[in-house]
Amino acid sequence: MHGYDITAGEMLLDKNATLDAKGLMCPMPIVQLAKKVREMKSGQVLELLTDDVGAKEDVPAWCSRTGNALVGMEEEGKLIRFYIRLK
Amino acid sequence: MRDTTRLGKEEMDMAEKFCMVVSEGSLDKALMPLIMGNTAAAMGMEVHVFYTFFGLKLLKKGVKPKLPGMMSIFTGMMVKKMKKLNIQDYHTMMKEARELGVKFYACSTSMAMMGVKETDLVEGTKILGASAFLNMAADAKMTLFIG
Repeated sequence: MHGYDITAGEMLLDKNATLDAKGLMCPMPIVQLAKKVREMKSGQVLELLTDDVGAKEDVPAWCSRTGNALVGMEEEGKLIRFYIRLK
Repeated sequence: MRDTTRLGKEEMDMAEKFCMVVSEGSLDKALMPLIMGNTAAAMGMEVHVFYTFFGLKLLKKGVKPKLPGMMSIFTGMMVKKMKKLNIQDYHTMMKEARELGVKFYACSTSMAMMGVKETDLVEGTKILGASAFLNMAADAKMTLFIG
């Protein structure tokens, strides 16, 4: 449903940047994500770190809305890592 | 769907439009349009927020919105709790909104009713009437009323 191609654990993703949004609540992870993406180039991979429980649904929704590809998601306890390939 | 965060001005005109009307000036009514608006802008939508009646005071410089009615005495507690939870305060959200390109409008009739002058309003606020806003909302994908 969310269109994950593969989980990050199974694939060595070369990330170009990391956005640490830990401790931020909705909508800040998404707002910062959108700002970060503006600084990056097409095809690059962004790693997003968050502990906002809502992000599990919000980040895939943002990706599908904006046409960026969610290529991985990993959970470690409360921490969620997303890997997004920019269109 | 198109990522409008990467588009130029002309292309932005093609973005999905999201309009809100805010008619109350309490803290909850202050934050909700900004949370929704900032998220929508981050999702590539074009966001317009029209402030009318008691909502208008939210556009005044240095405003400190309070919880509604009798709960207003607990405003300080709520603001403290938000800070503890790392949730942005009203003015930070407003600043963020402007950086994201959210557009703010003041209702001209409400300004006269409430005795609000143009110089009282935060920078970047456009003053307009109902017909200009309706013209915007007429082709919006979504319109919410917050009041």
